[in-house]
Amino acid sequence: MKRFGIFLMVAVLILGLAGISAAEPTLEKIKNTGVFTVGSRSGSPPFGYINKQNEWVGFSIDLARLVHKNIEKKLGQSVKFELKESTPATRIPLLSSMAVDLIAGTMTDTRARRESVDFSLTFFVTGAQFMVKKGSPIRGVKDIAGKRIGAQQGSTNEREVRARYPQATLVVFPDQPAAFTAMAQGKVDAYTNDGIQLWGLKMKASNPDDWEIVGEWYTYEPYGFAMRKNDSDFRQVVNVALMEAIEGGEYFKLYDKWFGLKGEVPYPLSPEAKRFLEMQVIPK
Amino acid sequence: MLLSGFFGIPYEFRWNVLWEAPHYTWIIDGLWMTLRISAISWIFAVLLGIIFGALRTVPFRPLRALATAYVEFFRNVPLLVWLFFWYFGAPEVLPEPIRQWFIHHGMEFWSAVAGISVYHGARMSEVIRAGIQSIPKTQLEAGLSSGLSVSQTYRLIVIPIALRLIVPPVTNESLNLLKNSSLAMTIGVGELTFATRQIETYTAKAFEAFTAGTLIYLALCLSIAYIMNRVERKFAIPGLIARAERAEH
Amino acid sequence: MNFDFGIIISNAKFVLLQGLLGIGIFAGGTLRLAIPAILGGFCLGVILGLARLARRPWIHYPAAVYIEFIRGIPLVMVIFWFWFLVPVFLRRPVPEYWVALTAFVCFEGAYIGEIVRAGIQSVARGQVDAATATGLGYLQMMWSVILPQAIRNMIPSLVTQFIVLFKDTSLASIIGMMDLTKAAQTVTARELRPFEMYIFIAVVYWIFTYSMSRFSQWLEIRMSPEKAAS
Repeated sequence: MKRFGIFLMVAVLILGLAGISAAEPTLEKIKNTGVFTVGSRSGSPPFGYINKQNEWVGFSIDLARLVHKNIEKKLGQSVKFELKESTPATRIPLLSSMAVDLIAGTMTDTRARRESVDFSLTFFVTGAQFMVKKGSPIRGVKDIAGKRIGAQQGSTNEREVRARYPQATLVVFPDQPAAFTAMAQGKVDAYTNDGIQLWGLKMKASNPDDWEIVGEWYTYEPYGFAMRKNDSDFRQVVNVALMEAIEGGEYFKLYDKWFGLKGEVPYPLSPEAKRFLEMQVIPK
Repeated sequence: MLLSGFFGIPYEFRWNVLWEAPHYTWIIDGLWMTLRISAISWIFAVLLGIIFGALRTVPFRPLRALATAYVEFFRNVPLLVWLFFWYFGAPEVLPEPIRQWFIHHGMEFWSAVAGISVYHGARMSEVIRAGIQSIPKTQLEAGLSSGLSVSQTYRLIVIPIALRLIVPPVTNESLNLLKNSSLAMTIGVGELTFATRQIETYTAKAFEAFTAGTLIYLALCLSIAYIMNRVERKFAIPGLIARAERAEH
Repeated sequence: MNFDFGIIISNAKFVLLQGLLGIGIFAGGTLRLAIPAILGGFCLGVILGLARLARRPWIHYPAAVYIEFIRGIPLVMVIFWFWFLVPVFLRRPVPEYWVALTAFVCFEGAYIGEIVRAGIQSVARGQVDAATATGLGYLQMMWSVILPQAIRNMIPSLVTQFIVLFKDTSLASIIGMMDLTKAAQTVTARELRPFEMYIFIAVVYWIFTYSMSRFSQWLEIRMSPEKAAS
């Protein structure tokens, strides 16, 4: 009887939530609540991480603040900017449950993901690589058969390795710090993630020279901001903010701050990438 | 339904993600892993529990102190912290060849087993100690004075009573162990909670994925509790006041 | 291997202020979560415990179902559910702290409900009869006669439950709430010295829980010296 009651309760919950009607558009929600919530990473330098002064900073966070300014301009009222942690495994639920309005981290724009969320313009381009201890025999994706490869749960890299390279032993961790520590301790032979994030980790480590980033990009990872689907007004605001930043130079100043030669993680902008970014800016 | 008008969420239910390949294989693998971790850890935990629980009742002071130290040290720190310690901290002090062997033979699994066994061993020992100490002395005395030898008294009277006394709290602790196996996902073990998370990250259907995991845990815990309840009632000694709290339905 | 105390000392302020007490830029804190959670859990627990003892089936069945449901699934699952559902129900973003607090109150409420039930049932039957004979109604009887005695009986179990809750708050780190465990993880990710950091927070947790369990033993002796056998 009691067990039946439990299943009944679960069934009621399920049916109750089964009623779906149109969601509140994001701009209206921001207007009503006065808060713009952004989900970002807290362990992925230099996109979103906790620095030595224990502040939460990053390239994606700075770009999100530009979006925030544009939202305030559009709504004509001041809006609070709030940051929430999101990881590859949690970011889509956080969006769909309205816990955040925008994911500004290291999310790769993919066709499959566009079934669940909408993406802004591409704001960064990279590809998946491997991080290994200096001198490791692994030099690229062809060397990983039979080796232990660490990855983050929910990332595109995990999916790629699982689908295309089943001869490698995949060890999946809930977040980047755990995976990196495991690699540092030799529990996995390599840690795979997008190249730029691996560079960020390497530069922030206490001994950057102990680590190497190896391999050609075995995937193409264009980063975009993610938001709820069917919300074109909000998407316009986000995209226009990015376009204005690229057009007006603000974007490149931020890029230099984080990825320039004196930046947190030197990662020069290739001419093709620069051209690609500039060509995303459509005429007024 | 009545409630449906209230919620406006952009969420499409797609229950078939649960039986699409390879999702359901992940659930099965995850469930199997949960059972494996729980079973192996349970055996170690009960062994540790018996050893240290008994040690806490012996008249020899240093052994008692040792056992008390074990219990108080391990059970006062959260299991999650222990798992991180056993996976990231402890292996670093192992000699290199042993460490390498573990790395290639499922260190994640064995760190999880170590953490869970030692922690729950400490909790089990408390339960077993309480059980041993609550056996009425009079039973032992009565047995001896009826002419039974010490070992006979223990075998025929004390131990059967002890077993019946400790079954409910041990069952409770064992279920806690099963539920705590879910923490192993934080150090890379692919058990059931990990598997539901995995489905959710691949399909974005969190509700369906979590429901599957929840129902499986419920089924496991409720059936074990029900079976142990029947066992307990079948073997109960009439007139023996045993339990602290009972859920009767 | 060398034990690096320096790492502990330079990061202790962050870990303790932010992780333990919740003072700083992150809304979190182990104590800031544990204390409201036990208070809220207690209120919910009293309601559930009383409901479970009610005679009318439409009161005691939902309570029983709720309690058995919560007790049958891992706390991690409960936290994930609330993490997913709370913002949906409120239709607005919710900081991890509030998600964790809600999850813990609902979780602890079920366990405390059982403690309350046991506590009430342990009050001698004679009290109920005497109260009824004196003409007190059910609620009056509960409030003035039974509950005060029941609560006295429950206090040791409640303190134990608080100790358990204090340790369970470490799970809030899984959804990103900045508690003691998450603070240690954050520092480890930067400094890569897990051994030192996790020993450090193990000691901090230990200090708190061990003191609380000694307090509980002292309470038990003080409240019923005749029952406190060795």
